[in-house]
Amino acid sequence: MADFRLTADDAGQPAGLIARAKLGDLDAFDQIMRLHQKQVLMTALRILGNMEDAQDAAQETFLRLYKSLNRLPDVLEMKGWLYRVTVNICNDVHRQRGRRKTEPLTGPEPVSSHADPEKAWNEVEREQLVEIALKTLPEKERAAVVLRDVQGLSTREVAEILGSSEVTVRSQISVARGKLKRFTDRYLRKHL
Amino acid sequence: MNCPEWEREIAGESESVALEEHLQVCGQCRDFARELELNRAALRTGEIHPAAFDAVRLRVLDEIRAKKRRGAWWAWSAVAAAVCIAMLCVSIVLQNWKNPAPPKPVVATKNTPKIERAPAPVQPIMKAHHRVYHKFGPVTASAGPAHNPEPLVVKMLTNDPNVIIIWLVDQKGDSL
Repeated sequence: MADFRLTADDAGQPAGLIARAKLGDLDAFDQIMRLHQKQVLMTALRILGNMEDAQDAAQETFLRLYKSLNRLPDVLEMKGWLYRVTVNICNDVHRQRGRRKTEPLTGPEPVSSHADPEKAWNEVEREQLVEIALKTLPEKERAAVVLRDVQGLSTREVAEILGSSEVTVRSQISVARGKLKRFTDRYLRKHL
Repeated sequence: MNCPEWEREIAGESESVALEEHLQVCGQCRDFARELELNRAALRTGEIHPAAFDAVRLRVLDEIRAKKRRGAWWAWSAVAAAVCIAMLCVSIVLQNWKNPAPPKPVVATKNTPKIERAPAPVQPIMKAHHRVYHKFGPVTASAGPAHNPEPLVVKMLTNDPNVIIIWLVDQKGDSL
């Protein structure tokens, strides 16, 4: 069993908050969503590549959480459960979107807090480059690299969420990073 | 081991001592490792506008409230339907209680006993002097007026010549 499970104290959610949510208290459920919104929406945004689809996926994830509150075997496993459901929903959305034409990135501009404008520009450009490169990856490689590099989970935790072995996940992450690197290299050689 | 093979080790987060030693002497692999780290940092630095979080939470809460309303509407509809059915049943029972229906004829169902074949009727012996005279009137309805058909007259002679039995029968077969 991986060790990334949240304890109630880590998550800042007292047991009463979840108990109230189970009884239908929407304020309590809103608090739970606030605790996990960054995790869910950022994962969805990195996997799907645009804010509109990411918000739809996050909405569906939280609705499933609300329906499953009474069925979750352990409230402390909520974080892993949310990652798993988010990735599954994003994969579904990605497959449906695959039939449509891929649209350019939209949504709120990334907020950079860097003091140096030139460096900040480079960061934004690289971030957009990597975002575009992520879209070129296969589904499982994309999910693995997002969970590992964006969310900072260990290989073991990623393997548990994706239902794969650690060896497989390590290989997927290695291949995906190589592809991202080659993509950014090609872009830089072409434009600089 | 050449550099492409070392790059796979770097991307796979190998922590071997050999890789560390190679990175100290190979500038190309150090650049590769640095580029990977920049990509990872770029993926992590992106921030999401707070309004995007608010929008998601608002949509989720609206959806839950809407489902609750729909659930309540269905519950009340079910209760109303149950009350209507109960009232209908009560009214039917009361109506039958005030105006009881006439008793229906009771038909006894009973297994029909096996009918034994009746013995063949014994034909009466007709003596030669028993003569029967039939005077046939109009037999069919078209032969005469329907409203006053002529009766059939049957004369039967007995052994006594003074006694003659005359039997008048109408067209329906009833004795007159």
